[in-house]
Amino acid sequence: MSNEGTAEGTVATRTGASVSEQPGRQESDLERLEEMIPESALRHAPGLLPGEVKAHPDPLQYVVVAVVLVVITGLEIGVSYLEGSIPNGLIIALLLVMAFVKFFLVASWYMHLRTDQPVFRRFFVIGTIAAILLYAIVLLTLHVSF
Amino acid sequence: MTAFTDAQALTKPAPRPLILRRPTKTTGVWSWFTTIDHKKIGILYGGTALFFFVVGGIEALLLRVQLAEANGTLLTASQYNTLFTMHGTTMIFLMGMPLAVAFANYLVPLQIGARDVAFPRINMFGYWVVLFGGIFMYSSFVLGGAPNGGWFGYTPLTSTPLSGGALPGNGPDFWAIGIIFLGIGSTTSAINIIVTVLNMRAPGMTMMRMPPFTWMALVTSFLTVFAMPIITAALIMVFFDRNFDTTFFLATKGGDPLLYQHLFWLFGHPEVYILILPGMGIVSEILPVFSRKPLFGYSVVVFSGIAIGFLGWGVWAHHMFATGLGPVAISAFGLSTMLIAIPTGVKIFNWLGTVYGGAVRLTTAMLFSLGFIAMFTLGGLSGVLHSIVPSDTQQTDTYFVVAHFHYVLFGGLVFAIFGGFYYWWPKVFGRMLDERLGKWNFWLLLVGFNLTFFPMHIVGLLGMPRRTYRYDDGMGWEVLNQIETVGGFIVALGTLVFLVNIFYTAKRPKTASADPWDARSLEWSIPSPPPEYNFADIPRVEARDDWWHRKYTEDADGKLVRLPTGGAVDEAEITTTHDEHGGHGIHMPSPSIYPFIVALGLPLMGYAAVFLNIWLLIPGLLLVLFGIYAWGLEPPTEPEPVQVPEKVGAS
Amino acid sequence: MTAVEERQPDLPVISDAHGNHDAHTGSTNAKLAMWLFLSSDCLFFGAFISTFLLYRDRPGQEGPTPGDLFDIPFTSVTSFILLMSSLTMVLALAAIQRGDMRRFRVWIIATVLFGVTFIGGQIFEFTEFSREGLNIDTSLFGSSFFVLTGLHGAHVTAGIIWLLSLWGLSMQEHMGQGDAERVEIAGLYWHFVDVVWIVIFTVVYLVPT
Repeated sequence: MSNEGTAEGTVATRTGASVSEQPGRQESDLERLEEMIPESALRHAPGLLPGEVKAHPDPLQYVVVAVVLVVITGLEIGVSYLEGSIPNGLIIALLLVMAFVKFFLVASWYMHLRTDQPVFRRFFVIGTIAAILLYAIVLLTLHVSF
Repeated sequence: MTAFTDAQALTKPAPRPLILRRPTKTTGVWSWFTTIDHKKIGILYGGTALFFFVVGGIEALLLRVQLAEANGTLLTASQYNTLFTMHGTTMIFLMGMPLAVAFANYLVPLQIGARDVAFPRINMFGYWVVLFGGIFMYSSFVLGGAPNGGWFGYTPLTSTPLSGGALPGNGPDFWAIGIIFLGIGSTTSAINIIVTVLNMRAPGMTMMRMPPFTWMALVTSFLTVFAMPIITAALIMVFFDRNFDTTFFLATKGGDPLLYQHLFWLFGHPEVYILILPGMGIVSEILPVFSRKPLFGYSVVVFSGIAIGFLGWGVWAHHMFATGLGPVAISAFGLSTMLIAIPTGVKIFNWLGTVYGGAVRLTTAMLFSLGFIAMFTLGGLSGVLHSIVPSDTQQTDTYFVVAHFHYVLFGGLVFAIFGGFYYWWPKVFGRMLDERLGKWNFWLLLVGFNLTFFPMHIVGLLGMPRRTYRYDDGMGWEVLNQIETVGGFIVALGTLVFLVNIFYTAKRPKTASADPWDARSLEWSIPSPPPEYNFADIPRVEARDDWWHRKYTEDADGKLVRLPTGGAVDEAEITTTHDEHGGHGIHMPSPSIYPFIVALGLPLMGYAAVFLNIWLLIPGLLLVLFGIYAWGLEPPTEPEPVQVPEKVGAS
Repeated sequence: MTAVEERQPDLPVISDAHGNHDAHTGSTNAKLAMWLFLSSDCLFFGAFISTFLLYRDRPGQEGPTPGDLFDIPFTSVTSFILLMSSLTMVLALAAIQRGDMRRFRVWIIATVLFGVTFIGGQIFEFTEFSREGLNIDTSLFGSSFFVLTGLHGAHVTAGIIWLLSLWGLSMQEHMGQGDAERVEIAGLYWHFVDVVWIVIFTVVYLVPT
């Protein structure tokens, strides 16, 4: 069906029946124009932009995410200075987890993956997983110990 | 006040393009430079690829003449290396991929009921990049030496610097930069196709109602998007090693040449599926039409294509079985290679199931498609033999491998493409190709191809190595090589017949009907050749093979019954009321010169890279930037001169 | 249908300009294209990152080691700046989505300035390393480090030029609320470049050898 994947929300109303169907009445240019705008352009609920399924975050949320990112970066740096006092394996694990969280936050909030159509998420995730898997196999085959 | 006053108030004025006036004509010679019509672009890709097919073929014939006798004297070792490198590079990057893109470009919008692709100007840009990339690569012959490190360009042969002396001349640099360019073109085309297929299908055209060719074009495009960046990375490393003394593949500094092979084949294996899947799509279109039966197991065919797309990522190291990867790696890859034979085999059975029990018409297109099934199966069988690692260790670097990949690429892809030519030629050009010449074309190619490549299985197992410019007598290879060379010339003759067919029919009037084959998919519901806007009215799709179901239904006994009205608009109606803008108001995107301009900057940058010359880099970069800015500022569609909007159907 | 409805490329319609109003993913073509390109770029950077991982710890290399050279506090600051540029970028987008062109200009130029500062930091860092004996041809570490971070820097630079162009267009009053999608697409690219740096910073600088 042609409507698959479009946003939920109410359909915006047009100005009643087509003006041209009312005999004898001259349409204004504006009304004529409005008639010509395709239905699909008015399909989204007010507040949702094309491509969104939920409203995108507001500026305050962006700032909060930024603060969290900075804090995690600080933690990362702290962990890196613990080299020597805790096993390297643990440091690497912690760093990778923190890097992943930052990655996730930027992708979900700043790049709107949380609020956009799922298709974007899928492409990006597939690309990332493909990259990681393929290159991990290459490195393993070339006998890199992680 | 014009009717558009309020309309303009709602939008801001489009900034005027810089300096150059927007071209407007859609006919005439100049329009071929500025067109953004996917159909014209498809024709350009096709013509260019056909030209390079002939060039690559001539290169092959030179190789074959050299090898026809022991200790051949036609070519020096260096010339031989250049020729087999350019033969492979040309056939893959300048023939195979562009032909697949040609078909995809022309057909995908028509098959899904769209008026153009998602990004018409980027589409044109992709074409120019391929053309200029080809010219760039071939210009190397007169600019210090053509590529000569093999189409795969293994390091450290290609990556040692000029000072290291391994491959003197700029050949490998031209090769690396040239392929990076061609990759840019391919990737942009692929993104275009994906967005077009996902976003621009006609109402009712669900994914599982799409024709199989469009499905294969979609999978191919995904493979391209993910594979091209990998080779781009590898080639950048090669270029840097060669020109800036980096150490990526320099063993003396600890670099690992095998890293290149991994990166190359990570790209290279998906690449061969990028080459063959469109061919499989073409065959999946032709067989049902000339069997008068739907494609057997459509869903299975589609899912097998997707499966091949996924599994194709997991087999790359089968090109590296003889490099000492270790038993775990080679076992794993041997297994995955065997696994990928399954979805491939499934497709073959589905094709056979399509033909079986059908009312078969042996047109040229059908002959090529049946030939595809046979030849591709043979190629697949030799492929499965390669998947057995101990066997492959003997077969690697011998002519057995050459036999295998020519069976799948020539007997497979090229046969499918010829079939596609004969099938869609009437739609594209409004004329049928001559069927009698077509039969000669087919049989000459079939006989010639098998004469050329079948003996290679034998001579390969007898030990004849690849990529070697001559062999001694007394090896027992000479007779077979002679047969192969004769076969090569028969192939050339068959190709010549095809070219004759084109010219012979080119002078005839355009009398092909919209649906000369009584076919199944949407492109056959519009006139031949299609008008610029493709569909006068976007169709509402109600079934798979929708066009077929508008023409036919089945009675109680399951026999086909022709429906009274075809469902498409009558052709006479189309030409009189639905011409370009008159009365129908379909406004197509406007032509543009900027794709050409941006693409023109790239070879300049390429030469700058090869010769490390900043005076070429700066104008190239400026041209690219100027072109991109101007492109970004011009709207996709120019506003029409002021006209009062008509109400459709008003008196 | 007449010509009028087809010629509004700047209004936020989900129909493309070719008369076919059913965009089946519900999204615009350009955004989908950018996501595809970014997925492709993942594999590009993945090749260089894994090459770096492969070569960093190989024994027997000449020249300085990561431990000798890396100045974590310095790189932390440049990383922080790039992170903040992502914030200003998304705030710029939010501004233009509201139609607040003045704020848009402020945030987008802030993003540009942060980006330029980051590049400046990179250049400073590279010249320092070079002075201390690490060049692109010194060792496996040198080659893989400079090519990886250099390509990332090239991506950032391209982004800076792009954003600067948007700022310029906005200053000339050629942009309005209808162009929010253009900004969003530029933003996606910018965030991606930031995300790649998140990975590089962790994997190249922080992970112990």
